[in-house]
Amino acid sequence: MDFTLTDEQIAIRATSRAFAEEVIKPIAQEIDARSEFPLAVIREMGKLGLLGLPIPEEYGGAGADFLAYCLALEEIARGDAAVAITMEAHTSLGATPFWLFGTEDQKQHYLVPLARGEQLWAFGLTEPGAGSDSGGTQTHAELEGDHWVISGSKMFITNAGTPISGGVTVTAVTGRRSDGHPEITNLIVPQGTPGYVVGPALKKMGWKASDTRPLNFDQCRIPATSILGQRGSGFRQFMRILDAGRVAIAALSVGLAQACLDESLKYARERQQFGRPIGEFQAIQFKLADMAMEIELSRLMYYKAAWLMMRDEPYTQEASMAKLFASETSKRAADQAVQIHGGYGFMDDYPVSRYFRNVKVNEIGEGTSEVQRMLIAKSLLR
Amino acid sequence: MRIVVCMKETPSTEVSKSLGTDQRLVRNPTETIQNPFDEYTIEEGIRQFEQHGGEVIVLTMSPAQTDTAVRRALAMGVDRGVVVSDPALAGSDAVATGRVLAAALTKIGYDMALFGQASADAYGGVVPSIVAEFLGVPLLSFATKLEVAGTTVKIQRQAEVGYTVAEAPLPALVSIAKGINNSPRYPSMKGIVNAKKKPVETWTLADLGIAAGTVGTAAARERVTGSQAVSTQRRREIHVGNEGAAQRILDYLIEQKII
Ligand SMILES: Cc1cc2nc3c(=O)[nH]c(=O)nc-3n(C[C@H](O)[C@H](O)[C@H](O)COP(=O)(O)OP(=O)(O)OC[C@H]3O[C@@H](n4cnc5c(N)ncnc54)[C@H](O)[C@@H]3O)c2cc1C
Repeated sequence: MDFTLTDEQIAIRATSRAFAEEVIKPIAQEIDARSEFPLAVIREMGKLGLLGLPIPEEYGGAGADFLAYCLALEEIARGDAAVAITMEAHTSLGATPFWLFGTEDQKQHYLVPLARGEQLWAFGLTEPGAGSDSGGTQTHAELEGDHWVISGSKMFITNAGTPISGGVTVTAVTGRRSDGHPEITNLIVPQGTPGYVVGPALKKMGWKASDTRPLNFDQCRIPATSILGQRGSGFRQFMRILDAGRVAIAALSVGLAQACLDESLKYARERQQFGRPIGEFQAIQFKLADMAMEIELSRLMYYKAAWLMMRDEPYTQEASMAKLFASETSKRAADQAVQIHGGYGFMDDYPVSRYFRNVKVNEIGEGTSEVQRMLIAKSLLR
Repeated sequence: MRIVVCMKETPSTEVSKSLGTDQRLVRNPTETIQNPFDEYTIEEGIRQFEQHGGEVIVLTMSPAQTDTAVRRALAMGVDRGVVVSDPALAGSDAVATGRVLAAALTKIGYDMALFGQASADAYGGVVPSIVAEFLGVPLLSFATKLEVAGTTVKIQRQAEVGYTVAEAPLPALVSIAKGINNSPRYPSMKGIVNAKKKPVETWTLADLGIAAGTVGTAAARERVTGSQAVSTQRRREIHVGNEGAAQRILDYLIEQKII
C-alpha cells in the first residue's frame, strides 16, 4: 500500500494552501458578516485554474486528477467554507456533468467557460417537496415541437444567482417509464432564459457568503437538444454525480475540521489559566488528540474513496462513509474548538464561532447523514 | 532575449533548524523550498520574458534529491530548468558556488542572468558579485525596478533618500531586491500539471569542465569555526501604581530623546 502523493498533487495542495492562507482567510470573517459573495476571490481562483481542476485541458480545465481536486478543496475549505462550497458545487455539480454526459458541442459551448472559471454553473435537484427523496421530483417538462417547456420550482440551489452564473442544470420529469416510474431528464437552462426566475438569496446560518437560491420555472422554453445525455437518464446521472460530490464534500469537511484544530492548537498554547497554558491540562489535550485522530481518519477515508474512483472501481459505499464520517467529524471538531476557546469561542471575532455555524450543513447537503446511513446499510444488506 | 534565473533551494520555513557537527545548517533535501527571495527573481524573469519574448530558464546548484523548487518555477511559467548536481560539490563555499554558476551560465548562454538579493539560509549575498567576477560581465545589484531597452538594462536601486539609477550593456547580471514588490504569482493549476512535461537537465562538474578539487569542502576558503545563538536583552523599567504614571512615561521618553 502506498500513501505517497504525486509531485503534482503535492504542488497543487501547496499552492491551494498558500492561496487559502494569504488570500481567502484574511477576508473570511468580513464576507461572512456581510453575507457577501466573494466575487473577486472567485475570479482569481478561476484564473489560477482552481475552478476546473479535474476537467481535461482540452475543455479549459487543469487536467489534474480527482484526488488533487479534493486536496485543493480541503485546503480552500481550511481558508473558508463559503468559498470552498462555491468551488465544490461549481466543479462537482455544475461543470462535471457536462464533461461526463455532454455532447462535444455542449462541452465546447458550456464546459469550457466553466472550467476556465469565467462562469459558474448550478445543479438543481432539490425541490421544496423533494429533498432526500430526490426521485420525487415534481418539476416537469413537456416536449412542444422542438422545445422543452419546463414548469416547477427548485430549492437551496448553490451558485444560481451570482454575478457570473451561467445557468443551471435541472432535473425534471419528462414522461413515464414503461415500469410506471417517472422518467427524469437533466435539462440545461442558461441564465436569462424567459420563464426561468432566480429567487432572492436565502439567508443562512452558515456558508453565508455562498449563493443559495430558490428557482422557479414558469413555462420556461429551451431547445429540445438542451438535455444532458439521453432522455430519461437523469436519475442515473445525478446518482453518479452525487457519489463523486460526496467524496468532495468529505474533503471539504476535513478542511473545516482542520481549521478548527489549527485554531484550537494555537489557543491552547496561548491561553493561560491557573498559571499555565490550557494546553497543559489533560482535559484539553484529550480533546486535541481526538480531533486530530478523527481528522486523519476522515482524510484517509476520502483518499481511499477518491483512489477507488480513479481506478474505476465501485466506490459508492466508501463515498457515503467518507462524507458521513468527515461531516460528523467536522461538527464534533467545531464543537470542541468552541469549548476550548471558552467564552471567546462564542464571540463573532473568533473564527471558531463561524466554524461552528459552518460545519452543520455538511451533515445535510448532498445527502443527509441519515441518507448516507441508509445508503451504506443498503449496500451492506444487498 | 534569453534570461536565466539563478535560484537556490533553502530549508522550508516551516521546519525547525539545527546545526550539524560541522557547524553548518542540517539540510533535509526533501524539505526544501524556493529561497523566498528568489520568488521575486523568478517573477521578474517571467515578466521580462512576457514583455520581450525569448526564453526564461531556471538554474540551480543543488543536491538534487527533489526537484520541487525547480518544478515550482516551471509551474510559474519558466520554460526549462538546469540543475547542477555533483557529490563533489558538498561543502562548497560562495566562491565555489560562483565558479559553478558562472560555468553553467556560460554553457547555457544568456543575455541577462537574475539573482535574488541573498539566500534565506546563509544570507551571504555575495554570490552574484562572485559570478560577475568569474564571467567578467557587469552586475547591477539590488534592483527595485528593472527595464530592458534594446541592448541595455537599466535598474533603480533604493537609496536612503530617493533611488540610484544604474545601467549596463547586455549581457549583464542583475540581483533583485525584495523591495521590487512585484507580487510573485502563484503557480497556476495548469502550470503545475504541465511542469512535468517541461525539460530539466542535470549537469555534473564534468559537464561543466570543472575539476572536483576546485570546489567542495576541500577548496573552501571559508570555514565555519563556531556559532552562537543570538540573544537579545531588553532594557526595562517597571513602575508600579498609577500615581503620576503619565508624567513618568513622559519623563522617560524625553530622557531617551524620543520626544
Ligand atoms: C446551503 C445549502 C446548499 C445546497 N445546495 C444545493 C444545490 O446546489 N443543489 C441541490 O440540488 N440541492 C442543494 N441543497 C439541498 C440539499 O441537498 C438538501 O437540503 C438535502 O438533500 C436534504 O433535503 P431536505 O432539506 O428537503 O430535507 P428532507 O429530505 O425533508 O429531510 C428532513 C429530515 O428527514 C430525514 N429523512 C428524510 N428521509 C428519510 C428517510 N427515508 N429515512 C430517515 N430519515 C429521513 C433527513 O435525513 C432529515 O433529517 C442545498 C442545501 C443547503 C442547506
